[in-house]
Amino acid sequence: MSRPAIDAVFEAMFILTDLRVILRETAPGHVLSPAQQEETLTLLHTLETQVEILRRELLA
Amino acid sequence: MKCAGSIDVRDIDESSINIDPIQVGGRLTAEAMKAIIAYGDGYSICDNCRKPFRLDYIKTPPVDVFFRDLAAFLHMDVARVVPGARRGFQAVADTYVQKNDPVLITALSHYTEVLAIESRGGIIREIPKTAENLITPDATATKIEEVTRETGKTPSLLFLDHVDYQYGNLHPVWDITRIAHQYDIPVLLNGAYTVGIMEVDGKEIGADFVVGSGHKSMAAPAPSGVLAATSERASEVFRTTSVKTDITSRTFGIKEVEMMGCTLMGVTLVGMMASFPRVQERVKHWEEELAHGKLVVEALKSIQGTDIRSEYPRKHTLTRVDTTNSFDEVAKTHKKRGYFLSSALKARGIAGTIPGATKVWKFNTYGMTKAQADHVATSFREIAEENGIPSR
Repeated sequence: MSRPAIDAVFEAMFILTDLRVILRETAPGHVLSPAQQEETLTLLHTLETQVEILRRELLA
Repeated sequence: MKCAGSIDVRDIDESSINIDPIQVGGRLTAEAMKAIIAYGDGYSICDNCRKPFRLDYIKTPPVDVFFRDLAAFLHMDVARVVPGARRGFQAVADTYVQKNDPVLITALSHYTEVLAIESRGGIIREIPKTAENLITPDATATKIEEVTRETGKTPSLLFLDHVDYQYGNLHPVWDITRIAHQYDIPVLLNGAYTVGIMEVDGKEIGADFVVGSGHKSMAAPAPSGVLAATSERASEVFRTTSVKTDITSRTFGIKEVEMMGCTLMGVTLVGMMASFPRVQERVKHWEEELAHGKLVVEALKSIQGTDIRSEYPRKHTLTRVDTTNSFDEVAKTHKKRGYFLSSALKARGIAGTIPGATKVWKFNTYGMTKAQADHVATSFREIAEENGIPSR
């Protein structure tokens, strides 16, 4: 069992959920405020980290 | 884009501002969406169900605590989750209504209240509404007297909508409940449009039962809801099984008869639980919601020929509007006929109205940001102007 891979899958889906909520809050124009842009940047960075964990755990 | 097979992705709330009157209070919080990802499998809530094998005893996740918190949230003694408000109505009707019992509803009651009584063979009688579409204590007292004379029995139950689904009007439920109790009639408060979006104090209202809808107003998946009761009534409506089968002599522990054992077992319950902290918080911001709703209502009111049919000023975000003398006049000659309005709204990223409706329709502004409310308000004015309807 790869605990890190399992955790990374859920964490990635949770991050995508937070991005989904930003889409909802800014519909229909999706013009993000500076705070929302900063939050999005952090979320994307963390998402990339989870993808890297999955690459390492499942494909290495 | 497809979810699977022929099932489209549903992205109405990601792509648009949704003003559907029944959908907005049930949209999930981020927390519920996340919990659902983890608990999507059927009986997922049952992983750690141990003796006595009942939902409200599960400690992991903390369903037991949630049930207690839910009762406290409504200022009631005992709460259970149910598969939609209608199943709460049904449980109460099953407990208190016998064949040919008179039962009171109101002229603005939801159809599921009627069906719950009909299934018991009760005699349904409606408390009339005023010209302003409100239910009053006086009308309640008069109806109780009438029905008692007619049937020779006091009504066995009163179903009372806190805010009705037709106009989104807030009714004087405390006063009505007080009248009903003078005749010893138990009161079920239908909070489908209030529990989870505004503060509801069942004790203060004097309700014997408070029913809420998870999918309508508690940011939870469908079908979900809550049935809460006073301790006196809880022992009746949440009575446990006492049966013993004849051949196998089986008994069924402490399963609750009206709940049919356990009620919500997966995404519905975990969704309700995950949203609950945010729901507890959001009811404190009701005035903000009303302020956003006011922006849209005032914009519509400013359009010549448009009437707000709900009580005004608004006390709820669900509003019934009459555009027979404004947008419907446009529809008579517009090449898209009645579809011009929903089409024009869609072009501005606004969804949730019934396509083709230009006479009397409803919308709900709950959950909008200020920017979104401004956009909707401006859009209505622009659509009117583009079609030659002046605004004040």
